Amino acid sequence: MYLTREEERIYDGEMGWAYQVSMRILVKLGELYGASRLIPIESAHISGVSYKTVGDAAIEFLRALSESNGRVKVRATINPSGVDQDRILSNILPSDLVNRQMEIVRLYEEIGATLTLTCTPYYIETPKSGAHISWAESSAVIYANSIIGSWTNREGGPSALASALIGKTPDYGLHRPENRQPSVLVKVEAKLNSEADYGALGLYLGRILGEKIPLIQGLPGAGETDLKQMGAAMATSGMVPMFHIDRIGRSAGGIEKITVDERDIIKTRLDLSTSSGRPDLVFIGCPHCSPNEIRLVSELIRGRRVRSDVRLWICTSNFIREKMREHARIIESAGGRVMCGTCAVVTWLKNLGVETIMTNSAKTAYYARLLDGVGVIFAPISECINVACQ
Amino acid sequence: MEITLKGRPIVAGHATGRALVSSKPLTFLGGVDPKSGVIVEVGHDLYGKCIKDSILCFPHGHGSTVGSFILYALAKSGLAPKAIINLIADPVVVVGAVIANIPMVDGIDITKIANGDIVEVDGERGVVRVYRGS
Repeated sequence: MYLTREEERIYDGEMGWAYQVSMRILVKLGELYGASRLIPIESAHISGVSYKTVGDAAIEFLRALSESNGRVKVRATINPSGVDQDRILSNILPSDLVNRQMEIVRLYEEIGATLTLTCTPYYIETPKSGAHISWAESSAVIYANSIIGSWTNREGGPSALASALIGKTPDYGLHRPENRQPSVLVKVEAKLNSEADYGALGLYLGRILGEKIPLIQGLPGAGETDLKQMGAAMATSGMVPMFHIDRIGRSAGGIEKITVDERDIIKTRLDLSTSSGRPDLVFIGCPHCSPNEIRLVSELIRGRRVRSDVRLWICTSNFIREKMREHARIIESAGGRVMCGTCAVVTWLKNLGVETIMTNSAKTAYYARLLDGVGVIFAPISECINVACQ
Repeated sequence: MEITLKGRPIVAGHATGRALVSSKPLTFLGGVDPKSGVIVEVGHDLYGKCIKDSILCFPHGHGSTVGSFILYALAKSGLAPKAIINLIADPVVVVGAVIANIPMVDGIDITKIANGDIVEVDGERGVVRVYRGS
């Protein structure tokens, strides 16, 4: 891999340990995947913020970076944490968990990250189409590559962090046009009626696709929320970094073909629901809500009241809540909570007394059972709001 | 008996120690206890074994990228392996070995190494020497 003289000096440690270790991470990954050089990035998005997932190990590493004066060189946004920014969960959760969580966020601030605390940083500042970026958080990666058209590999927390400090990434994988082409044609022959159906489709496809990039036909009515749900789910059950939507009937010869029918979707939806009881938490906002989703919830809930035995969380970033504050107020006055900086996947559901969660997100439905062992009801947003308010 | 295996250098450095060999991929997040260095992944062939000061040989890593930080935490607490030998390097283990500064070589047929063998790793040149008592 070619390094400029300045990059070599960083590699040799002339700028201190934080930059040296970051450069070494990028060079080793680059060598592993056949990169020829480092290329500048527009932004980095860093996962590994919730203490629930990263634990003490990440605190030690972040502290070492900060103490050796490591600072980010490009806009670097961070994923949600285990507590909300209004400190509602902080008052319920054990103080030890909360303190360590606050320490992680403080360390990210110290190294210069922008405390977006969201998995949908693209709603705050959308990267340019065609820009090279270095993003972790699988749902943001697939969204950026497929819907925005910016270019990123599926980074992990540590490599996105290293890219943020150096301001560059090795030019392998999805940073090269030839690697962004579809290798599977997916024909969807099922009628999809809601964002939850799109999520179920994504989960079904992720299992089959693994790391492959699909070209998907048969989704003429797919909206932004639908595609966000589908992508997040595909990146959950599989390692899919990108998808293409075919709206014009491209012919795609010479590649593998998959057909998805109604039964595949129904079976996936049924498998995701593990409980038929009443939920104690209804959760919308995985991935974090867009302005349109906040508006939709406010329209569905206007004039109604959330049951006293159900918590309704609508999760998004502080930025979007502020932008949509009139709609957020409608949701809150109906008894829901527009919660910022966290979500049901990265907080401690069991510690919060949650036994059964209802959600419109296939990604959350998949993880809540695995990570928290709670019961799951998976349904479209309108049904979720109905159950919360019945 | 002495055999020499040639692989690909990943992280530079020299180490000699006793081999701890697994035929299964290893998940660091959730699979290794960062406070003791013991493998806690149920059903793993090294379940209950401590990786401290070993020459840790396994096919490749698996699972969350947070696993890299676990290797760093282990090294900070003096519980890290002396070196890592993989069949195929994957990003989680590579990044972990880089930040924890653990010599690492891949491209090695680890079935040639047995538990308890004395192994010498040259991470600079990617050479692994295996010494087995008769």
